Amino acid sequence: MKKSYKLLLFIFLISSYVSYAQESTNPIAVTDSTKKDTLNYYDMTIEQLLSLKAHGVPSELEKLINSLISVASKKPLNVRESPSIVTLVTAEEIKNSGARDLIDVLRLVPGVDFGVDVQGVVGIGMRGNWAHEGKVLILLDGQEMNEILYATTQFGNHFPIDQIKKIEIIRGPGSAIYGGYAEYGVINIITKQGGDINGVAISGIYGQTEKDYMRRNINLSAGKKLGDFEWSVSGMIGQGQRSDQNYTDVHGNSYSMIGNSALNPAFANIGVSYKGLSFRAIGDFYHTSTQDGYDAIYPKPYTQNFNSMYFELKYLWKVSNKLTITPKLNYKNQSPWKTPQGDSIDPSYLKTATRSTANITASYNPTRKINVVFGGEYYRDMAVDKLPGDTFYNGKQSVSFYNYAFFVQGLIKTRFVNIILGARYDKHNVYGDAFVPRVGLTKKFNRFHFKALYSNSFRAPAIENIDYSGANGIHPERTQVGELELGYQITHNSIFTVNFFDISTKNPIIYYTVGAGTDAYTNQGRTGTYGLEAEYRMKEKWGYISVNYSFYSAAGTQKSAAYRVAQDSSMLLGFASHKVNLNASINILKNLSLNPSGTFYGPRWGYNSVDTSGVAQLHKFSPVILFNLFLKYNTPITGLSIGVGVYDLFNQQFVFIQPYAQPGSVTNLPHAPLPGPPREFIFRLSYNFNFKAKTTN
Amino acid sequence: MIKLKNISFGGKVLLLFLFLNGVSAKCVAQDVDYKAYTLFVYNFMKYVEWPEAQSKGDFVVCIFGESPIQKELAGLASSKKLKGRNIIIKNISKPEDAAGCQLLYVSASKSGNIKALKDQMMGKPILIVGEREGLAKKGAELSFVTMDDDELKFDINKKEIEQHQLKISSQLISLGIVVN
Repeated sequence: MKKSYKLLLFIFLISSYVSYAQESTNPIAVTDSTKKDTLNYYDMTIEQLLSLKAHGVPSELEKLINSLISVASKKPLNVRESPSIVTLVTAEEIKNSGARDLIDVLRLVPGVDFGVDVQGVVGIGMRGNWAHEGKVLILLDGQEMNEILYATTQFGNHFPIDQIKKIEIIRGPGSAIYGGYAEYGVINIITKQGGDINGVAISGIYGQTEKDYMRRNINLSAGKKLGDFEWSVSGMIGQGQRSDQNYTDVHGNSYSMIGNSALNPAFANIGVSYKGLSFRAIGDFYHTSTQDGYDAIYPKPYTQNFNSMYFELKYLWKVSNKLTITPKLNYKNQSPWKTPQGDSIDPSYLKTATRSTANITASYNPTRKINVVFGGEYYRDMAVDKLPGDTFYNGKQSVSFYNYAFFVQGLIKTRFVNIILGARYDKHNVYGDAFVPRVGLTKKFNRFHFKALYSNSFRAPAIENIDYSGANGIHPERTQVGELELGYQITHNSIFTVNFFDISTKNPIIYYTVGAGTDAYTNQGRTGTYGLEAEYRMKEKWGYISVNYSFYSAAGTQKSAAYRVAQDSSMLLGFASHKVNLNASINILKNLSLNPSGTFYGPRWGYNSVDTSGVAQLHKFSPVILFNLFLKYNTPITGLSIGVGVYDLFNQQFVFIQPYAQPGSVTNLPHAPLPGPPREFIFRLSYNFNFKAKTTN
Repeated sequence: MIKLKNISFGGKVLLLFLFLNGVSAKCVAQDVDYKAYTLFVYNFMKYVEWPEAQSKGDFVVCIFGESPIQKELAGLASSKKLKGRNIIIKNISKPEDAAGCQLLYVSASKSGNIKALKDQMMGKPILIVGEREGLAKKGAELSFVTMDDDELKFDINKKEIEQHQLKISSQLISLGIVVN
């Protein structure tokens, strides 16, 4: 641990001095009035002044790190001063990498990882912590994708990544802004709108392993911006499979996942806006099949669908130059984990939940240096159990809850530091209240920037957490997070950042079973991790390279039994302490790029078998290197690009490990590791009709 | 002698912070694009109207305090004219020396003198341009601003401009941020 910090410090100092020496001879960095272009430069028209930057013509990297994002503060701030540890993923990076789905994209982000939940579902982890159930908020065009029965989001050939414009990721807490599903992080996906599409776009992917196809998806988008009016319609439909491997449960029983691990997406997204008024409707119908039960496989596959509809009506009311008020109404209707009655699985699950939300947010800028955001939110949840004879904890087939919240945030910018103070208060009619303050100090001084952040956050119990909480009830789990980020722009084209974090969660909501296997949730013990994430990014004419390293440890922290690894106190179940990512793009020819990417995982721990007495056994999984190569070619036909590549070139056959368990139980046995796709050859094709010239292919 | 291993982790982070701050400070001068600042200043000259008496002869730009912009302005003066007038760049160390200037550029290091300058230049047809953000609110007529996305803009104090018998074009106003 100490050695790794010293090594990092040493590398950083050396690289700083080397780059400083290089920079002094960098022709871009030093403006010289004797240059030949001086005459032309001063002949610029007055309108061209609008394009000037304080630090000269920005490199592609500088455009990225100076771009404004609002995910961490509501008020747009540049990436380096935004009051969270943030990663920005662009459409260009996604397209170049040939990424098959969001798992491929997010895996390359420091601290983000994936594990298996139950019934073949893969969920997200953050900084070594299992975050699948309501701890990382997934936003897509402002809509909360987490289903509200268990608060999960399912990954694997699910979301239309070809339609993404950018992803803003908070790798830390976001509850002070976003409430109870943003305890450990926020993933804000922004898709291409009418002005971005400006025509019609069609794309497709086909993925094939040695044994079977892994995916075949088609995306279609159309959109246009006509003055103040903008519209877009996009959709994706496809078929996929989790793997072509055999799944083996903890008892040693296996089944082939070919034909029995469907991941079939159908996604539609409509957006219309006129001036400040906007409307959005999203339909997400993710149909899967699996043969996994919980600890044991079922004799035949069954369908398991996740259907959601989202609607939003929003008005951005610019009261004055200083005051903006945004009222919005949201409605979502979800039927997640839907396993229709009549299949062999028992029990079937047929619950529908709706959430109606009203939110009003005001943003006031008394001066350019001060911003205050404040507002309130009210939502009402309703759930209906459609299985005959089934009821909720209240003895009825329906249940409803409500929650109201108030939030405020102040941002003061001074010459020396930006100060962010914020807090959110939530009050739920069943589980009570949660108050989460946060404070942040950020600033960039030319090449150097820092962020010092301290936040409280919470996880709101979802409907089923309440339903299965029993006599003890359930409460929000509460987290405190301290973070420090240091960043240094080494040259115009490269930057190094490192951040340290310390996460401490009190009374996490834990799943367990009682008696012969009755589901239950309770608040139990503590959990948390600390560690660091470091990233180096370089973007040159020949392409770009990004390398990052994530490290977490749970050593010395109190750990709930649900996440503990008995053999190694520094680790938590399911996630590697050490992860290294590479993502690069090399322009071989003008229209041809080679895009290597990959992830190294250190050892991981997980349950994969039971002993003779029926108790689950921990297993240490060896390090894995996932290496991918994608070749992208922009053809001479305007708008047409094709790509071929291979994912998991070395055929490491990555498995998703379950990051939680009930050790010692013989009734609640863990889910065995779920195979992901092995080596997969992919072919991509995309065609954009009437795209703007500036759009990157 | 203090050994690195005896310093706590928090102390090491602090050392790193201080070190980077030092390196960063060294880089300030070379990172800011003073050529862009100079282009703005040139457009200020073009789109601000001085009284008749100041519209003939050489156009004198005075720089109060040390600033890297001096080199760029000298380059401008050697290669361009302002409506047929020569541009003269002068460096001054005392506010009193600004008497013959049409444009007074106040370097960041002299920002603290802005109130005194305002009083001394009261009513005189001199365009005071502040290098540091916020000076337009304290007495300069124009001052530079770096926006969150690194865009270079400028604040305009219309009241001060009028008081100095100057007229600013609507085109220039549309590019700046009026602070009063």
